[in-house]
Amino acid sequence: MRANLRVTRAMGWACAALMALGSIQLQARAAELKLQTQLVWGTDDAKPPEGKNYKPVEPDILKKLRELPLKWKNYFEVKRTDFALSPALTKKIPLSEKCELNVLNQSNSTVEVSLIGKGKEVVKRTQAFPRGEILVLGGNAPNATAWLVIVKRTD
Amino acid sequence: MMEYQDQLKLQSYLDGELPEAGAREIAARIEGDQEASALLNELAQTHKALAGFEDGIKLPESREFYWSKIQREIRRQEIPAPTRAPQVPFLNRLRRFLIPATGVAVISLLALIATKETGSGGGDASVETALQDSGAFTYHDDTAGATLVWLSYPADNEIAEDDDLNSLD
Repeated sequence: MRANLRVTRAMGWACAALMALGSIQLQARAAELKLQTQLVWGTDDAKPPEGKNYKPVEPDILKKLRELPLKWKNYFEVKRTDFALSPALTKKIPLSEKCELNVLNQSNSTVEVSLIGKGKEVVKRTQAFPRGEILVLGGNAPNATAWLVIVKRTD
Repeated sequence: MMEYQDQLKLQSYLDGELPEAGAREIAARIEGDQEASALLNELAQTHKALAGFEDGIKLPESREFYWSKIQREIRRQEIPAPTRAPQVPFLNRLRRFLIPATGVAVISLLALIATKETGSGGGDASVETALQDSGAFTYHDDTAGATLVWLSYPADNEIAEDDDLNSLD
């Protein structure tokens, strides 16, 4: 009976150690971020321009955009890029010929996003990036429209 | 009242176990000591009575073997029986298993929360925005979970009118 008790205790500690090990591994896996960038066109027009097959942004993104102080009625997705980012690595996401986004995973869900235009850094934003959070970089475009670059977590 | 040692000597005298000198000494004392004489007489009567009883008892085995069995049994009873460990109920065993497991699990969970991997830790402490654009502003909506950085950075070509990759200069 005493031996059984020791075995039970040993099993308990072994399970506890395994759980701790598993959580450490989970943390290690969680350190890799799965991100998505979307180039979005904001307009008051109900439809995208002729010849362009832009789709309206997804409902969850649209809902968040509606919460922001943006005046446009409709938002169309122009381009989307999904990528995974390991800690301390930077990914360059081309947005156009002269514009790109540099995304750095600083670990602990903190991300540094830099918008590069014509080879120059226009803005660099560093912030914690928990699930559900989005970062929107935007500006005015001709004909009372807007360009938006949206960064979101997909894991 | 006779001394205890004297009583033992008297018993030995009766059994014929004393050396000759000791026997003579005891015999002399018996003659002059009425108490010693009475005790000797009593011991002799008792010896006779017991001798009669012993004659009627026949052991199934030899005398030495018979008494050695009794001795072994006495020794066996003197050894304390090993105490059995008390039965531990299943719930107690389960509790002993769960206490360390739960403790480590809680610590792991706290570590996960602390490292913000659950997605709940926003932590604006690390927020930093470096703007080259003097006309830009930053807006954050906690409830929406959204941050807007609005720039005056021009987009020369409209997104919809130009090729996708040329939409932003």
